Formats: sequence, structure tokens, C-alpha cells
Amino acid sequence: MASEQGKLRYALVVLGAPYSQAATHSALRFGEALITQGHRLDTVFFYHDGVYNTSRLAAPPQDEPHLVDAWVRLANEQGTELLVCVAAALRRGLLDEREAQRYGKPAFSVEPPFVLAGIGQLVEAGITHDRMVTFAP
Amino acid sequence: MLLHLLNRSPAGSRLPEDVLRAMGPDDRLLLIESGVYGAVSPQADCFKTLKGRCYALQDDLSARGLAERHADWIIPVDMAGFVALTAETQRTVSWY
Repeated sequence: MASEQGKLRYALVVLGAPYSQAATHSALRFGEALITQGHRLDTVFFYHDGVYNTSRLAAPPQDEPHLVDAWVRLANEQGTELLVCVAAALRRGLLDEREAQRYGKPAFSVEPPFVLAGIGQLVEAGITHDRMVTFAP
Repeated sequence: MLLHLLNRSPAGSRLPEDVLRAMGPDDRLLLIESGVYGAVSPQADCFKTLKGRCYALQDDLSARGLAERHADWIIPVDMAGFVALTAETQRTVSWY
């Protein structure tokens, strides 16, 4: 249930890769708009190619929007939880420090506020949030 | 009542037909991203039965030079309107 009258808790699911499809831009703009209207963006779940949104090594040209930083800003300013599907991430070379050690990799590519998570947490988000909106490629 | 999100143009996909078949009598449809090509005639004709509950995202229309060119039964909404539609409906279904 909503914590305040008319104010809703949102979860977003991002399935599209940044700089390839519109999904990331749409999700970010939607997230900003719902916050402006007084709702809460509590969780973003990155799945499929959406996990590319979470690479700490992303280095886009300076005159283009830095989409990874935009998610980090959301987490810092709104307390939004940024969950990354671990199965989708590992096979695409997106590993946090612990997984990099486990698999003997020379570097890690995911760091907080992005957190590797299981698919169960996506299901839980669907149950515990008032609204879930998916942005797909 | 559901909000359906469609990001595919009727010109390049059969998906709009599937959405129309799946929609309930009170459900709403919002065209986003390249889905807004479906807001312009003659592609928009397939959504004519949804008069009063078919919307298109203004930003995505503008980004494609279609801001003033959508069919008159398509209702343009800004991002705030998109959020309002998700709040007014129980659930959102994304088609892609």
C-alpha cells in the first residue's frame, strides 16, 4: 500500500542497453517525473542487456549524457536501490569485487550503489511496490 | 484496468495487433519511443477503436518531428501524464 495518500512506491525494470536503445533514457526520464510528482522511486532492477547500465568502467564522451552516473545520482539523492540480475551480469562481464575474486578475474566492473541480486528480488519488488514499470529494448 | 505500453511501430511489427487483441474494454494504451509512429495516420487507423484511451508520449513525438502530426483521436501526454496514467491504472504491461 502507498505510504501516504496518493503517493506510490515505484519499481522500474530496465531491459535495454544504454547507448543502444531508448529504454534507459525513457526509464530515467520517467523516474525523474515520478519523483517530481511526489512518488517514491524505491527500486530499479537491471535485467537482460539492461545490466550494461551498471558498469563502473563506462566512459562515454563528455558531451553525451553519462547514464551510469545518472543512476548513481538517483541512488545517492533518493535512496533508490539499484539491483542487478547476477545471472545476466556475470555472463556479460559485469562482476562486483567478490564475484571477480570468485572467478579469478583481474578486475571488477560493478560497485555500489549497484548491487548484484537474484531474480527472487525482482519478484519481491513486484509484490512490495505499488507499481512496477518495465522499459524494454 | 491496465495500462499497456507499446514501443514498436505498426509499420515494422505485428505487435500492435497482439496488443489490441489482449486489451480489455477499459484498458489504456500509451505509445512510447518508436511506438509513436503509430500515432500518425495511416498507421494510427489500427488504434481508432481505442478513441479516448489511446495516448502518445509528447517527448517521443517531438523527438521524431511528429509533435503536430498525430491523429486527432490520439491524446498526447507529457512525462507527468505518463506517470499519472501508471498511477490511475492498477498495473502496467510493456510490449516489445
